[in-house]
Amino acid sequence: MRETWIVGAATNRFGRMAESAREAAARVALAAIDRAGLAPQDIDHTFVSNAFGMAEHQGHLGPLLNTALGIPEVPSCTIESACSSSSAGLHEAFVHVAGGFADAVLVVGAEKLSHLDTVTATGYFATGADFPFEARNGATFPGLYATLASAYRRVFPLPDETLAAVAIKNHANAALNPHAHFQKEISLETYLNSPIVASPFRLYDCCPFSDGASAVVVAAKEFLRRPPTTPLVVAASVRTGSIVDMHDRTDLLGLPASRRAGELAFRAAGLTPKEIDFLEVHDCFTLAELLALEDLGFYPRGAAGAATREGETARKGRLPVNPSGGLKAKGHPVSATGVAQVVEVFEQMNGTAGARAVPRSETALTHNVGATGGSCSVHIFRRG
Amino acid sequence: MTAPEGHSIADYLKGYTDLGRLRGFACGCGFRTATWVLACPRCGSRDLTDVDLSGRGTIVACSVQHVPSDEFLNEAPYAYVVVELAEGGRITGWVAGVADPADLPLGAAVHFHPGYKPGVQFVQD
Repeated sequence: MRETWIVGAATNRFGRMAESAREAAARVALAAIDRAGLAPQDIDHTFVSNAFGMAEHQGHLGPLLNTALGIPEVPSCTIESACSSSSAGLHEAFVHVAGGFADAVLVVGAEKLSHLDTVTATGYFATGADFPFEARNGATFPGLYATLASAYRRVFPLPDETLAAVAIKNHANAALNPHAHFQKEISLETYLNSPIVASPFRLYDCCPFSDGASAVVVAAKEFLRRPPTTPLVVAASVRTGSIVDMHDRTDLLGLPASRRAGELAFRAAGLTPKEIDFLEVHDCFTLAELLALEDLGFYPRGAAGAATREGETARKGRLPVNPSGGLKAKGHPVSATGVAQVVEVFEQMNGTAGARAVPRSETALTHNVGATGGSCSVHIFRRG
Repeated sequence: MTAPEGHSIADYLKGYTDLGRLRGFACGCGFRTATWVLACPRCGSRDLTDVDLSGRGTIVACSVQHVPSDEFLNEAPYAYVVVELAEGGRITGWVAGVADPADLPLGAAVHFHPGYKPGVQFVQD
């Protein structure tokens, strides 16, 4: 396997885009290529993710993107894995580059949903679950994670203040992130006064519907010996799957796909959780961040909530989690999210994260879940 | 080796919407589900039996929905539930008219209530 690097990264500001996902994808792609010191003509393959492209009546985004970049002859395809779409694209890029099938690969994720009303957007999100056996029985996307919360509460303490601690921390981080959807801190009072969406989740437990686009360039070390930025060495790139339907799983106290992805990734990287400096994890809901920390082995089951309330996962804490603000506050433009997590790692390891810089950034882990855990990506990076 | 003939997703939907029966699959390993499969997701066996599910069981997970998708616009707030069936296995559904999760605690007994409304509706025993 060839040593594989992330050599360029870019994102736009998440929130509400005036332009289409197609236009935003092309802009961040070009910015990532420029930052890598490459030209579009260096790209051998493009993986693009745009899970809800149909909301804009547009499929087949890859060749449109490559055409806009002046490289229409470069092969491309769309990778769909719900909320983990672009990290799945990153894994495909890794396989291509590490396996010697490509020297430089572009990975882009873009989504636009802000032109839809809440009910329509809620319907789109629910398509990541099992439509006839979950969504058609009344499940919404928050509702599915909320059922996990009800099961978790039966075994471990999960007071509202613990869920609030995740939201408050991630909003505080996003307040320092110029790319974040919500650049404002929230108080416990604001959290507690927000309406219930799907019990026990309030509005401030939920990630927003965001528009956004993010891109990275993946290249072989031997192809690009002296990049203009600090590259990220891909120490592990892992994908896992599990039963989609939560009711068919044996255990509702975590996501089996996350557990397995964590184990495989640490084995591939030859590292342990103690050796990871900071994380970007899939916090589509506050509880999801706690489950991720437990599933990935950073905390014993039932212990992530207390650690969060004690500040261990704060930006300057022992283990900074979601310094970007996470999906919760940076925003969750579904297909952009997986790559956006890697953009954050790139900024932190290049010293360009500004006020939200974490104390140590030699190693990092990103964790991205497809819907309720039917699929999962975990990547581990070392500073190159 | 080919998979045995089993009911389709359309059969399942027609079963509970028109006929008032919940169709499912049972595997020799003990796994039982309404979810459409050709092989058991637990053990991989293709030796699945088409069964009618009792629709009786207890709530193992629950969330009251206040912001529904379009099919349930007229039903909110309601409870989305995961039900452990009396004969084993779990299925999902919803319970109408629940605004406070305390009104439908985990462990509550429910049964399938066929009707004209969308999805698999349960009512508390």
